[in-house]
Amino acid sequence: MDANLPLRLELTGITKQFPGVLANDHVSFSVRPGEIHALLGENGAGKSTLVKMIYGIMQPDAGEIRWDGQPVSIPNPKSARKLGIGMVFQHFSLFEALTVLENIALGMDAKIPSRLLEAKIREVMNQYGLKLDPHRVVSTLSVGERQRIEIVRALLLTPKLLIMDEPTSVLTPQEVDQLFIVLRKLAAEGCSILYISHKLHEIKALCDTATILRAGKVVDTCDPGIETSRSMAEKMIGGNLKDIVKQGGRSLGEPAFTISHLSLPAAGPFGTDLEDISFSVRKGEVFGIAGVAGNGQNELLLALDGEVASAPGAIAMDGHPVGQLHTSARRKRGLCAVPEERNGHAAVGDFTLSENTVLTARNRLGMVSAGLIKAGAARTFTGEVIAAFAVKALGPGATAGSLSGGNLQKYIMGREILQKPTVLVVNQPTWGVDAGAAAAIHQALVDLAASGSAIVVISQDLDELLSLCDTLAVINEGRLSARMNVGEVSVEEIGLLMGGVHGTPEETHIAPGGEHAVPA
Amino acid sequence: MSPEFLVAVIITIVGAATPILLAALGELVAEKSGVLNLGVEGMMLIGAVTGFAVASTTGNPWLGVLAAAAAASMTSMIFGFLTLSLSANQVATGLALTIFGAGFSALAGKAFLGRTITPFVEVFPAELARHAIWRVVFGYSPLVYLSLIMVVLTAWFLKSTRAGLILRAVGENDHSAHSIGYSVIGVRYAAVAFGGAMAGVAGSCFSLVLTPMWAEGLTAGRGWIALALVVFSAWRPYRLLAGAYLFGAVMTLELHAKAAGGWFSVVPPEAWAALPYLATILVLVAISMRRSGGTSAPACLGKPFLPTA
Amino acid sequence: MLYAAPVAAVLLTMVLGAIIFSLMGYNGVGAVIEIFTRPITNPLKWQDLGIKAAPLVVIGVGLSIAYRANVWNIGAEGQYIAGAMAGTAVALLTMSMEGPWILPAMIVAGVLGGMAWGAIPALLKTEFAVNEILTSLMLNYAIVHLLYFLLRGPWRDPMGFSFPQTSLFTPSQSLPYLWQGTIMHWGVPIAVIVALVAWFVMSRSVFGFQIKVVGAAPSAARYGGFSTRNTVWLALLVSGGLAGLAGILEVAGPFRQMVPGFPTGYGFTAIIVAFLGRLNPLGVIVAGIVLAITYVGGEVAQTTIGLPSAATGIFQAMMLFLLLAGDILVRYRLKAVRPATAGETA
Repeated sequence: MDANLPLRLELTGITKQFPGVLANDHVSFSVRPGEIHALLGENGAGKSTLVKMIYGIMQPDAGEIRWDGQPVSIPNPKSARKLGIGMVFQHFSLFEALTVLENIALGMDAKIPSRLLEAKIREVMNQYGLKLDPHRVVSTLSVGERQRIEIVRALLLTPKLLIMDEPTSVLTPQEVDQLFIVLRKLAAEGCSILYISHKLHEIKALCDTATILRAGKVVDTCDPGIETSRSMAEKMIGGNLKDIVKQGGRSLGEPAFTISHLSLPAAGPFGTDLEDISFSVRKGEVFGIAGVAGNGQNELLLALDGEVASAPGAIAMDGHPVGQLHTSARRKRGLCAVPEERNGHAAVGDFTLSENTVLTARNRLGMVSAGLIKAGAARTFTGEVIAAFAVKALGPGATAGSLSGGNLQKYIMGREILQKPTVLVVNQPTWGVDAGAAAAIHQALVDLAASGSAIVVISQDLDELLSLCDTLAVINEGRLSARMNVGEVSVEEIGLLMGGVHGTPEETHIAPGGEHAVPA
Repeated sequence: MSPEFLVAVIITIVGAATPILLAALGELVAEKSGVLNLGVEGMMLIGAVTGFAVASTTGNPWLGVLAAAAAASMTSMIFGFLTLSLSANQVATGLALTIFGAGFSALAGKAFLGRTITPFVEVFPAELARHAIWRVVFGYSPLVYLSLIMVVLTAWFLKSTRAGLILRAVGENDHSAHSIGYSVIGVRYAAVAFGGAMAGVAGSCFSLVLTPMWAEGLTAGRGWIALALVVFSAWRPYRLLAGAYLFGAVMTLELHAKAAGGWFSVVPPEAWAALPYLATILVLVAISMRRSGGTSAPACLGKPFLPTA
Repeated sequence: MLYAAPVAAVLLTMVLGAIIFSLMGYNGVGAVIEIFTRPITNPLKWQDLGIKAAPLVVIGVGLSIAYRANVWNIGAEGQYIAGAMAGTAVALLTMSMEGPWILPAMIVAGVLGGMAWGAIPALLKTEFAVNEILTSLMLNYAIVHLLYFLLRGPWRDPMGFSFPQTSLFTPSQSLPYLWQGTIMHWGVPIAVIVALVAWFVMSRSVFGFQIKVVGAAPSAARYGGFSTRNTVWLALLVSGGLAGLAGILEVAGPFRQMVPGFPTGYGFTAIIVAFLGRLNPLGVIVAGIVLAITYVGGEVAQTTIGLPSAATGIFQAMMLFLLLAGDILVRYRLKAVRPATAGETA
């Protein structure tokens, strides 16, 4: 890296205002040729907005972008690509029903005959060791393979700057390693990489420089090799990290929620079959289910909360089979749940919070008599949720859609937790939630467990599970691993299981008594 | 059954099938881009009345066809503006378009009731079509050949051209197409306009070839059958062609039954008349049963596109 | 704000209608005045408004419930005819009888007939995943042909000079008038009662909640313990049943016999009524009256200034277009206002 070369990218005073939010506030930093530069920040810190402006999807309200020393304006993605900027999105812009080749052709600005394009694709894939069949239809590919399409598409343009937006959130640790090899090779050839993430260990492993954003402002530009993960995390969050307060010496009670040999075929062509899933959660226990997205987590939640029926004996609460009971009947018995998708699944955006309360709490809390809804009771309970979980909302009459993601999640979690369930199943409880709200949600879950409820937490965030759970298992392609005690298992072992490598019980250190120790 | 009778049967089937084939082909392209336009029936009526009016005024049926395409395409722009620029509900807007087309065509057609037109000049010289067998190949109105050419062109466009690929991409994942830099709304406007033009030509088939005259509501729900046909075809042009002729056969059964006599005449004519609609329902059920689980419909069909960036 | 769009749509229809019809060579301003004001200013037309609005309101209330559930029943016309036919069948069987039970029996048959015709798309949607839009529409055409067949054959009045129509209904088969000497029949207050009951049920009951939540977010509904399948059935049975009720009230009221001209497109117009009424049963009452004005006014304009009857349909379609457009524009305006105020504070 020659210091005399002009900076590849230099941002000065970039500002972007959205209704009610200042997404970027005088952001300045620069990227040298061949540098792997991390853009670090929490969800909502303004990382995505910033890169959208670099890639021409949005325009800054103020500030200057310099490219190879020259000031430029980037009115659209096409001109960004012309400059040599490539981008791999977090949510892939792929077309499920089209082939790999068609997908890549769509991303090319130049019209290239498909045979020539195919030859070029194969060349790029060989060069970087990326394996992919150009004639496969995208819907048949795994998430990692789909990301490869995006990478190949970007590399075909021989970019000088490659933007990677949260590239590893959907990958197994092993796939992450492969990706890093490709990225290092690219950087060695002189391509700059802007790497957006909130995963500190990845940034320490990969990046030369890190720019940390908080609430739209640059708080620091540092060398991740020197900083510790904790120091970077504190800069990112802006305060000292709070630890979850777990009561010491808790004793777990009788099994409250037992799943035995649960198998369900996938609902659609893109779903995952659940195969022979068994686990048991005791009173007072927090049981985690780790795994990469799309390995059957959503299907499992639907089966557990009764949205999809299963064999009667496959699911039992306190020994009573509930597999064929529907959602309302399971709720009456004390099973509450929070699905991953907030808008349209856990809550209805157009409805008021009070109405969303009626959605799940009407029977448990007596909000219905003679087929009519007691609106007053719903309002009162909603007010309690808002107060207890510090939900920022205008009141029970505010629509769910008017709340920010984190506040809506707090409301939803509060709505279920305050129903005092004996069993609570949550999927991605803090996805897209700011650190403060996440801590509050974690504390509420731990407190609920302390009061004797059995809790299942499904999450893709391993750190969350390790800090929250007593025991955990890994789901991969619809199959669940044996149960492990947190504290007796290494991240590497979990990573292998997440990637579908099933070791023998001896090798993976199954906790004593962890494997179906509890009779169904 | 004499060969003459068989030839006559085939010719009526093709005649009846051609307008629904044309209309369905246009709708197929619109749906491939992700737009569900339920206003086909209304656009067909606009096309039928415009085509007839122009043809009877100018004496040139081809001008009629052109005018029909233009008028219906313009009408489809009302739908386009509401659903694409204003993101209105596509189902409701399509229904409104059908109600509008029915009312407007009835009003505009008042002056042309009972008028006549000069028919099309045959494409092929009459000598070629003299023998019964050759009539099966050479004995149709030019619009029949046009419809066949359009099937081939549409199939080629969708499968082998870059514009066709972009159109499919827009219908499959509008947000991705937008983020790559394609104009989702622009592509959809073009597809809706094409769908409108084809529906217009389909409408002119009725007033210029099949009937040939103008009467209120003369398309008799064929636009809706065209919509069902698109589902039947699984959005594939060549299957659409086969389906259209199948429906053409069902729609003309009444005629043939009368001609055939025998036990066919026991069945009341109303039953024959209701048959195409009931057959459509049966076909929809059969399609849906075979395609358990997955569907080949474009993923964004009927969903309004609201760019977030 | 919720009702700004429909009011604006009606007003704009009048303005645009005047312009368009003037351009087409008609007396545009005159047409609008005749259509939109004459039925209101002339008390002699008020009864006409009532009896035109009644079936539109009854069908429109049913459709507003179905559309709320995201069930696109556009077969109300067929369900309306089916209800009328079922009631007529009872009437033809009881021609020689008398008694106060006959009319209620006809009404029950009418509701059941409409439900039965609505049950077909429900069955096809829930059992075979067939889209209800096309099936419910196809059934409209099918039942019209069934009606023609029956009127030509088994149901034809033997004393009717071979006209394809049934015998006139007897007094115990006919809907009584509210007041002697008027044409206002009991269908009018029934329509108002239907709308009020529907409003109460939709806004206060778990049933109404279920309809709304399934329509707004099917996944959330399933999570909340409401079955989509069950809701599709309810939506089609309720909207079909109400269309059937409108049908039997119409045939036992103004018609008093079944004729081939019975299907007049109320089932389609009621779609506009449901949207113009914001899918709210109380709004549907107002919207039903507005659409009735266009019908009655259209007839007035036909006789006074020679405006073709088709003009009514154009006005109705324009109203729906402008409503759909206005809806979005109102929403955009709200969005456009917000950033401006946010900008001031920043």
